[in-house]
Amino acid sequence: MRLEVKDLATGYGKAQVLFGVSLEVKEGELVALLGANGAGKTTLLRAVSGLLRPWQGAVLLNGRDLKGLSPARRARLALGHVPEGRQLFPLMTVEENLRLGAAFLAPRREKEGYERVYALFPRLAERRRQLAGTLSGGEQQMLAIGRALMGFPQILLVDEPSLGLSPRLAEEVLLALKEVARGGVGVLLVEQNVALSLEVADRAYVMEQGRIVLEGSPQRLSADPRVREAYLSL
Amino acid sequence: MRAVLGLLLLFALLPFLPLGDWRAFVLDVGFFVQVLAALALSWDLVARTGQLSLAHGAFFGLGAYGVGLLAPELGTLPALLLGALLAGLSALLLGAVALRLHGLYFAIASLAFSEVLRTLALKLPFAGGPIGLPVPPALGGAWPLAPYFLGLGVLLLAVALSLWAERGAFGLAQAATRQSEAVARVLGVRVVRVKLLSLFLGSLTAGLAGGVYGMKTLFLNPYDAFSLARAVEALVIPIFGGLYSTLGPLLGGVLLVSLEQALRLWIQEGYLVVYGGILVLAILFLPKGLLGLLGGRRG
Repeated sequence: MRLEVKDLATGYGKAQVLFGVSLEVKEGELVALLGANGAGKTTLLRAVSGLLRPWQGAVLLNGRDLKGLSPARRARLALGHVPEGRQLFPLMTVEENLRLGAAFLAPRREKEGYERVYALFPRLAERRRQLAGTLSGGEQQMLAIGRALMGFPQILLVDEPSLGLSPRLAEEVLLALKEVARGGVGVLLVEQNVALSLEVADRAYVMEQGRIVLEGSPQRLSADPRVREAYLSL
Repeated sequence: MRAVLGLLLLFALLPFLPLGDWRAFVLDVGFFVQVLAALALSWDLVARTGQLSLAHGAFFGLGAYGVGLLAPELGTLPALLLGALLAGLSALLLGAVALRLHGLYFAIASLAFSEVLRTLALKLPFAGGPIGLPVPPALGGAWPLAPYFLGLGVLLLAVALSLWAERGAFGLAQAATRQSEAVARVLGVRVVRVKLLSLFLGSLTAGLAGGVYGMKTLFLNPYDAFSLARAVEALVIPIFGGLYSTLGPLLGGVLLVSLEQALRLWIQEGYLVVYGGILVLAILFLPKGLLGLLGGRRG
């Protein structure tokens, strides 16, 4: 499955945030969307998953225009979204959170979903009866990703998974996303941690003030003097 | 679960117990417990989607007025059902306008809605105005226990709806909607539909409870039937008993309504001060309601 964003513009109220953004995520590809705070990365993900209405431009899933489709409909078309800040249901157990991910998108594949998530994140299996609110930050992020995977998305949007995680845990989470992409899911990863993202991504875009200013392979971007100066502080 | 069934069984058997001189009083209290517990459960059903309804007094009043106006023509049961349907349809109207609002904003809209309905009941020529509306007794008054068992029927319905919602995917959808609408949406929950259906079912039951209440009091006036006090009672009982559950509102209804009646009997004047004091203590020390005492975990 292929996700295309074409010339997308949107914002909140009168404040425009995105000014004609275009990008593409192919099947099995891990694409990083990088940029500083306030560049519009989260806004882009919200517009793709239907939580925010585009002012202009289009979001296409396998060539199909998603215009006017609700977030729930988009989710049913196998578009998954791991929101910023995890947003788990803290008073539910790990397993109940996962069950919620499957209940409306893939109710018949619940068992398969648990197996897949627990294989990817063995720590979650150990803590399956624990309340989600009592997990560590890293485990919560794993659970948020796992919950989205329970719906068997073919395109997965992940918003700042490394936020507040130790470098080692951040790496573990990003490597897990790489694993998900290898399984055939197109992953669009929004990150501020540029160095780490460039290590795992197949391709990357750099966003500044609502526009894509650079794109290419990780090798090319790591070599780009602007990226080196602004994001890698080399 | 066992406690829920036990309480329902107690209600079913109450009229057959040897209660002596207290029988009439106990059955009256039992009746009000049933009706108000059903109202509380119907409020909780809406609350489970994160919406704070202040319109449940109005749904209750609509059901009661529906019965008052229709029962003389149609008889007891059709009038009850149509009264409930009236409440349900009005809720859909409210929902169509207000359900995209969240939390407090929805609460304000529902409050305005209930004020509008009370004004209508006051001003509409066929509704009896400020004087009120007589209601014919249930089933022609042939059977004195009829209101009691109608109340039991409404309570059974409210409990069944609540258990159904609690157990299935619908309950999960409600819980997700309550905790974060955006997350619920991206997990495939049709949030508006879930909220609208909850409001419809919640108002239907509230209307039914109101209709049965009318058949017991035999007289309605707009200030009582559409009172804000009842809307508040509909939310105090679940908060006292334990939110987002079946047992909580049921237990809360039994204790609070009996307590209110008992205090009225013992202390008479000023009993509301004691009642209010007990509520304040409960909120302070039992943040999860009575269910918190039982060690239940609620999300």
